[in-house]
Amino acid sequence: MTGVILRNVEKSFGAAKVIHDVSLDIPKGAFSVFVGPSGCGKSTLLRMIAGLEETTGGKIEIEGQDVTDQEPARRGVAMVFQNYALYPHLSVFENMAFSLRLARAKQSVIKQKVHAAAEILKMVDQLDKKPSQLSGGQRQRVAIGRAIVREPKVFLFDEPLSNLDAELRVQMRLELARLHREIGATMIYVTHDQVEAMTLADKIFVLKDGFVQQAGAPLHLYDDPDNQFVAGFIGSPAMNFIPARVTGRSDGLIMAQPDGAGAITLEAKSTGEGLSDGTIVTLGIRPECLRPAETGLSAKIEMSEELGGVSYLHARLAGDRPLVVERRGIREMLEGRTIHLTADPADILVFDPDGRRLR
Amino acid sequence: MIQTRKIENIILSVITLCAAAIWVFPLYWAMVTSLRRESRVVSDSAGLIPDEFNLTSYIDAILNTRLLTWYWNSIGTSLIITVVTVVTSMMCAYAISQMRFPGRRLLYLVVLASFMIPAQALVVSQFILMNDMGLINTWGAIILPQLIVPVVIIVYKQFFDAVPKELREAVLLDGGGEYTLLFKVYLPLNWGITAALSIITFIGAWNAFFWPFLVATSESTMTIPVGITQVQDTFGVQYARVMSVALLGAMPVAVAYLLFQRRVTEAVMISSGVKG
Repeated sequence: MTGVILRNVEKSFGAAKVIHDVSLDIPKGAFSVFVGPSGCGKSTLLRMIAGLEETTGGKIEIEGQDVTDQEPARRGVAMVFQNYALYPHLSVFENMAFSLRLARAKQSVIKQKVHAAAEILKMVDQLDKKPSQLSGGQRQRVAIGRAIVREPKVFLFDEPLSNLDAELRVQMRLELARLHREIGATMIYVTHDQVEAMTLADKIFVLKDGFVQQAGAPLHLYDDPDNQFVAGFIGSPAMNFIPARVTGRSDGLIMAQPDGAGAITLEAKSTGEGLSDGTIVTLGIRPECLRPAETGLSAKIEMSEELGGVSYLHARLAGDRPLVVERRGIREMLEGRTIHLTADPADILVFDPDGRRLR
Repeated sequence: MIQTRKIENIILSVITLCAAAIWVFPLYWAMVTSLRRESRVVSDSAGLIPDEFNLTSYIDAILNTRLLTWYWNSIGTSLIITVVTVVTSMMCAYAISQMRFPGRRLLYLVVLASFMIPAQALVVSQFILMNDMGLINTWGAIILPQLIVPVVIIVYKQFFDAVPKELREAVLLDGGGEYTLLFKVYLPLNWGITAALSIITFIGAWNAFFWPFLVATSESTMTIPVGITQVQDTFGVQYARVMSVALLGAMPVAVAYLLFQRRVTEAVMISSGVKG
């Protein structure tokens, strides 16, 4: 069964259109992530599902019910905000109980539901405290608890970890994943952090300028991006892009000469349909796919980031083009040296001048 | 460096003490005068140092004037003005700040404009209106024109504007409406602002003289500041008695100030824009 369906959803603020004809299906019980750079419309889309923004066009369904014009409270959704949005004058217990009290639930039911949520979040001993007495991570847990007690059909998270420090963010990420496993509810999560998206999501929707660029499982997006934007956005460090000129095609491979690389030719796995010799394309190579070779791209190492198990070499190709190379298990100091790099044809993606993937 | 700062502090303290002495002297002089026999108040022998503890003028003021009636009128009108002003201003500010409706900006401009019109400019029209309504010499005439205090609306609006919009959205998602938002979330967020605005409104209403003086011509409807003028009229220039009524009239405000000193200071800072 589908948890949330969006059909041709649009949103305009005055003359500015920020969401363009978005259609997507979110399976019931799935953890879906809207990811994209600032201003791509991901939070607006989430707020439209919550009912906090009116839709200019299209239809939103939650578990089979058309909620496009329904009040936020009647949609069966709960939202966790980036800044927690806790009621500062109420205790943790009262924060969690707030919606139940408004719904005139019995005191025994309120107690039972709040304690159950607090158990899940390991907050039972914090129930009497005020939000100001809690750490950032604890506050975010209270915000999640407030959502849990409502037993919503859909949980909405609007960049919930952005206000936390790096260590706490990792911890809370794991807790969110555990929570999703435990309660199995449909969850939609908005973030600009692709690491959060990759680690949490069953399905990622990559947005840019109000359009969904691609949707799919995290590794599918990583391995098989539809366009240059998705290829560059998913993965950290980002994919290297090198402009090149097509020099030939044979047996499902195309040959291309990178800009400023002289006679060096790279082979990429692509039918090259519609390409003729001399066409300018962009080659995309992940940092971990580049390996040293006798001949290949000549790159001067400017800086090396040593992270222990892995090193990132920041290099420059001829023509001053930046390049990142990932190396594992090698601690050799390479700064200032020039090395030659190559990659397997299967690991080199080809994009046309409009950024579309050429498979 | 530390030495210079110490000297600066001493000079500042001396200046502050001098200013305080200048400010407190009229109060001190009123107290000293009120405790003297009327015959000694203007005599050559009356010096700066209190030399007598005579409560005759206080007893006269209580027994021979309508001081208790004026107290009752002041307390009643000031409390009603405070409660109605604060509640209506809060709701008006909430609507302007949080709700979206046609004419919202115009409404706020009207509030701002009314802030810029001096009360004296409206006196004649308001007096005619009260007279036409048959309210002269009633609490209604004293209260009604004093219910419009734009600064309370402006301060509340600033406060509501500053509340993060996510809090509003959280309440809407939790199933609450405007009533829940205003009375269960926004107001409890900062009772201090309501307390401060209530105190400052109460003090303003208690001390109001000009308008009550115009519409309360009967002794039975006068407030304390207006009543003081009657003491003067009835007994001629009897300074001890005038001062005793003035001190008795100021006492509730002084007590309120001492009890809520911090809140009053906060209120003055908020309404003057020093603190938001």
